[in-house]
Amino acid sequence: MATHKKVFYILLILSPLAFIFISLFVGRYPLSGASIVKILICKITAGSCNLPDQYTSIVWEIRMPRAILGALVGGALAISGAAFQGMFRNPLVSSGILGVSSGAGFGAALAILLFNSTSYTYVFAFFFGGLAVLASYLIGRVYSTTPAIMLVLGGVIVSSVFSALISFAKYVADPYNQLPTIVYWLMGSLATARYHDIVVGGIPMVAGISGLIAIRWRINVLSMGDKEARSLGIDAVVNKGIIIACATLATAGAVCVSGIIGWVGLVMPHIGRMLVGNDNKVLIPASLSLGACFLIFVDNLGRLITGSEIPLGILTALVGGPFFVYLLKKTKGGGW
Amino acid sequence: MLEVINASFSYKKLNVFKNVNFRVNEGEVFCIVGPNGCGKTTLLDCLLGILSLKQGEILLNKRNIKIISPAETAKQLAYVPQLHEKTFPYSVIDIVLMGRAAHIGLFSAPSPRDVAIAEEVLELVGLTSFKDRPYTQLSGGEAQLVLLARALAQKTKIIIMDEPTAHLDFKNELTVLETIVQLVNNTGLSIIMATHFPNHAFYFENNSIDISVALMSRMTFSAVGSPSEVLSEDNLKSIYSINARVVSHRMDNDSELRQIIPISTVA
Repeated sequence: MATHKKVFYILLILSPLAFIFISLFVGRYPLSGASIVKILICKITAGSCNLPDQYTSIVWEIRMPRAILGALVGGALAISGAAFQGMFRNPLVSSGILGVSSGAGFGAALAILLFNSTSYTYVFAFFFGGLAVLASYLIGRVYSTTPAIMLVLGGVIVSSVFSALISFAKYVADPYNQLPTIVYWLMGSLATARYHDIVVGGIPMVAGISGLIAIRWRINVLSMGDKEARSLGIDAVVNKGIIIACATLATAGAVCVSGIIGWVGLVMPHIGRMLVGNDNKVLIPASLSLGACFLIFVDNLGRLITGSEIPLGILTALVGGPFFVYLLKKTKGGGW
Repeated sequence: MLEVINASFSYKKLNVFKNVNFRVNEGEVFCIVGPNGCGKTTLLDCLLGILSLKQGEILLNKRNIKIISPAETAKQLAYVPQLHEKTFPYSVIDIVLMGRAAHIGLFSAPSPRDVAIAEEVLELVGLTSFKDRPYTQLSGGEAQLVLLARALAQKTKIIIMDEPTAHLDFKNELTVLETIVQLVNNTGLSIIMATHFPNHAFYFENNSIDISVALMSRMTFSAVGSPSEVLSEDNLKSIYSINARVVSHRMDNDSELRQIIPISTVA
């Protein structure tokens, strides 16, 4: 890479930190920039800062975990999408292609139905998300190989079965209490993010993301197709298995704490392709950063424009769509 | 180097080939010629370890390929595919670097040494200036040379090619053939290729390359030998059901270039 490209790439990778920092200054509660900086300084130096405890907790207990979780969720969705696009040799697949989102959605709906609260949605969403992917994988496995088209078909089948089950759960749910909870969960939100969510969702997300970053160059080789990958010395079945496992950990971890947020896993990798090219060695980390920045940005926007917070799943598409068109026109598609 | 003994393959009940025997030595070109659907590609897939034989064995440097791992096989045997479906617009150098995959660990990316090897093989096929171009924008002939470079980056002693000149125009076809001749002469590479152009075998013979031709038909090799022996008018009639003439053209340097002229199908 040329030097200016390298600088751009490093800035891109580090940009989520800047977005997290900026989002501490964004919210409905009027806090002056000076007091926020003061709170941060005294948190870091562990001194006292003569500001109401309420201020500290808004910055430290509400805005900070929300920004960190936004970065993790956006990053996890985008990196899984990028890995799947490469592995399936198809630019139209997203992180949910193997049914993880529909499975998780059904798990969450089931937990809300069974326990009448959202306290078990994490576990159920994560479990059913994983189960859906496993089902797709087993459907796609023929003659001990896993052809991309069979996996995609498996994913389509499993997704539609779980979508039907979600509809069924909505149908039988109590319409005054459970139904709105299910619908709201399915639209995705970071509004209730606390450090607890970062721990619960963060462990699988960080594990999956690390795995994908480690194996990223091999995705190039897998995108040549099973036969060529094999002749280049790569066992397609084993490597695909590792990528599916990592992407599922990351996506299921994200969905179980944030609900279903579409669009990020499809489009952020493409924006990455336009900015840094198609080599997965740089594309995978770039997608991670872009997804993180994008979700923090959209989440900030969501809490700025209305008092009642537009759900994330709606805003990601509303904001991302026009931005994507702009980039598409500007870079002329980046070599497609 | 590569020895195939009594090989048979079938999909479920459909027999594809049986009793195939041959060996390929260092610096030799081995051409497999035969009509559509005779099993050439299946045989190559078996050599690559993508499919496994129903009977017989394939020995790579005296070891059965069944027990050699994909990475180990890829260090001894490279492959240039017939039809390559282009997906993402990778740059040419990224494609060539993929040839280094067997030498790069599970969680690693290409090292500067791998990049140096990729640049070196790009120079061998004369595409140095294409390094950063998206390979989706290359012409058919250029793309074929990039795939050849990728195979060369594997640094193997043997390269398997499936119809390396399919869909190429005359010039690109000759560029690929000339590159092969140069590589075989300069590096002692062995090449196994399936082709629909028996004339290629004569081309190699005329360039004094050590070449054998195998005629594949009716599920086995019906003849193996030098092009002049094997590619006779009678044999062409028998495997392709065509009437053909083998003619000889005297070249400027007094050597002879034989060519097959297909005339008509056998009624």
